[in-house]
Amino acid sequence: MSANTLDPNKWVDKYSDYLFNYTIVRVNNREVANDLISETFLAALKSAKNFKGEASERTWLISILKRKIIDYYRKINSRKGKAEVKIKYSDDYNEGEWLEEQVADQFDRSAEDEMENNELGLAILDCLESINEKHAEIFKRKTIDGADTEAICNEFNITPSNLWVIIHRARTALAACLEKNWF
Amino acid sequence: MGKKLKFLFFDCSEAATCCDKAQYEEANLFEKAKLRIHLALCKTCRKFSARNSRLTHLIKDSKLETCPEEKKKKWREEIKKEFAEERT
Repeated sequence: MSANTLDPNKWVDKYSDYLFNYTIVRVNNREVANDLISETFLAALKSAKNFKGEASERTWLISILKRKIIDYYRKINSRKGKAEVKIKYSDDYNEGEWLEEQVADQFDRSAEDEMENNELGLAILDCLESINEKHAEIFKRKTIDGADTEAICNEFNITPSNLWVIIHRARTALAACLEKNWF
Repeated sequence: MGKKLKFLFFDCSEAATCCDKAQYEEANLFEKAKLRIHLALCKTCRKFSARNSRLTHLIKDSKLETCPEEKKKKWREEIKKEFAEERT
């Protein structure tokens, strides 16, 4: 039974902000974070055939990203790559890098996963995923990017009063969701 | 009666919009003054307003960022290209 399916063409719109905020608190460098996310998407495509639909798409992407972050720290901690750990596999039929191609989606909720739930920024993004996609986008442009009302109205072709209605609904939904899941 | 008229003049949904605008510092002086009067009279809106400000602080504390659009564009293209290759 596969409850979850992959839709790679929507990954960027749906998950890139989440992945970015997950990464930035762990590597504290925008360029590195962007590179790691790019690598994560590509690795995910490569191991898409191993996705069994047990975890959600996002949980699965995060599990790949986690390995990329660990890998990154291994690399910078090893001088000239001496301590670099390469996990390769080879059997009669195949050969390749385990990290790249064999990522499955076991649904294991470790203590670390629980801790991640406690990250406020991710909790907010989590809540935003449950509201209308376009409304969430408008809310993010306004609240996180701090974009001008006029600019957003032009971008999405809406009137200022539309914008405030959307913002109001998003804020109300977000407050309710955070009260349930965060406090 | 006069008081009541004033209260009706600025109903709760208008107050809510003003309160939202105030969270983004986009409420003008007149709107802010009207909001204050309304809040003094309306307990429901006082509650809403407190909750709304708390949300603003939470979002500020979270230090959330969005990815720049040009990065997203690049990733979208990369994925599209790779995905097409994977399937062939």
